[in-house]
Amino acid sequence: MIEKYNFLGSDFERDAPREMVLLSIISQSFFQPFSLEDNLLVILTALTSGSGVGFNRAMLFLKQGDRLKGEMWLGPRSAEEAGFIWEVLSTPGIGYIEIIEHNRALVSKNEDTLSSRLKGLVFAVDEETALIPAYAACRKEILLVREAASEPLVDKRFLDVIQVDEFLCIPLLARDEVLGEIVLDNAITRTPITPADIKLAGLCGLIAGNYIYSTTLHRKLLNMEKMAAMGEMAMFVTHQLRNPIVAVGGFTDQLLKPDVPEDKRRRNLTIIRDEVRRLEDIIYQMGHFLKVSLKEPAYFDPGPVLAGVFDSPEVQTKSQGYTLNVKLEPCLPLILCDPISFGEVVRNLLDNAFDATPTGGAVTVRGYRKNRSGFVLSVRDTGRGISNPDKDQLFRPFFTTKEKGMGLGLPFTKRVMDTCGGKVDVQSRVGKGSLFKLIFICRERE
Amino acid sequence: MKKNILLVEDEKALCLLYEEELTREGYAVTAVTNAEAALAELGKTAFDLIVTDIRMPGKNGIELITQIMGLRKDIPIIINSAYQSYKEDFMTWAADAYVVKSASLDELKSKIKQLIGD
Repeated sequence: MIEKYNFLGSDFERDAPREMVLLSIISQSFFQPFSLEDNLLVILTALTSGSGVGFNRAMLFLKQGDRLKGEMWLGPRSAEEAGFIWEVLSTPGIGYIEIIEHNRALVSKNEDTLSSRLKGLVFAVDEETALIPAYAACRKEILLVREAASEPLVDKRFLDVIQVDEFLCIPLLARDEVLGEIVLDNAITRTPITPADIKLAGLCGLIAGNYIYSTTLHRKLLNMEKMAAMGEMAMFVTHQLRNPIVAVGGFTDQLLKPDVPEDKRRRNLTIIRDEVRRLEDIIYQMGHFLKVSLKEPAYFDPGPVLAGVFDSPEVQTKSQGYTLNVKLEPCLPLILCDPISFGEVVRNLLDNAFDATPTGGAVTVRGYRKNRSGFVLSVRDTGRGISNPDKDQLFRPFFTTKEKGMGLGLPFTKRVMDTCGGKVDVQSRVGKGSLFKLIFICRERE
Repeated sequence: MKKNILLVEDEKALCLLYEEELTREGYAVTAVTNAEAALAELGKTAFDLIVTDIRMPGKNGIELITQIMGLRKDIPIIINSAYQSYKEDFMTWAADAYVVKSASLDELKSKIKQLIGD
């Protein structure tokens, strides 16, 4: 007998040990396609929420070059505000998602929030001269500071901002590298920081450090992939642009010679017009692919977007002579993606499916839930299929088997899916057809 | 007698352009759009020169050159490509000339003249 469990189990019981609750909150948030900033906010939230460690305030510095730079500071500004915020946050039915949303609003406000007081603060991480907080980052040690006002190692500028006697400094480490620091205190309740608090906060620091490390690596990797793609692109562009330009130039030269017969003149002008259109198309596609960043994904109803794609003149024209089957589950869930990119990706897959399939063949689009948090949109064709060597290259920019293709459709698809935390899956058999599956993160409608 | 040129170019518009321009120069031009067709034509006519593109669907120009060298070593070959960078591929050194495609066909025409005369 086999029992299956989801990684994202239901929330922990109220009486679960707080270490478990904390780890659960943090790891669940890493599982979501949140941005680096949002996930760091989750860590600060976990450190300050009552169901987590329960510090009053949490401050985050990130290391940039050899300096610690204040990034965000979470917590109430005063006892009155604390009472109000904590009352809101302890309302029954409020989960960590709501708390994060609340906190996101809090740190992004323009007025005099704690975060805005922290933003300008920068401390040099320098072995010789560093004072607290940078001192903790230099030493790679957790420091509990008491009687801060009389401690010579504490930076006076920092003391002016934090205005508290007791606080805890947790450097964020990964592979022996300092990536930032978290400073925690109980400025409102004045509760002393216990060894258990320190242990738990240290654990959070390790998780946060490794999270920042892997996110930075991932960003670097994406950048390198982009650079490599740019190199290939430069080479490809030369070819793609040069051919039509040579045709335009060559046929224009012919036109400039004396006594060009009318039929030849017309023919040359037609060729020139077609080649210029091709140039335009190439430039459009390049620009599209090169869009520096895609829009942030958000949950939306894919139904209307899909309907728009199926009804679009391009798809209507392309599907003539084919059977287009659409089988969508009733009551689609909300999926996480940028709606415009989603439409483009689906249109692109349909385009490929029709191109690969001989006239008279069938293309089938299906949309169904894979599980509670996954939605699959698949496009199946009955075309020529993809050979194994070609399959390995499908997502490489500028790889194409089409005569006039640019080889940018599937790399774009992959970029979109990467950006929204989704996946593309390809199954294909030569002579039988291909099945492309887009797997999105989804959630039920409210 | 007109000199025979085999022209291999997959872009239809360019194929037409080169064919017309080289014909105007006084050559007998056989134009094909892929390597397979080129090999078939090689069996039929005694060409004096081959002008070939590199990037083509199916067999590319470098593979074509390799095969031609195995068949007839004596035919001069000109590579006419949109890519500058293939010059670094030593397989293209087997060709007698390398011309980067340009809207002016002067370089191509003068290389042909150098290799086989008018």
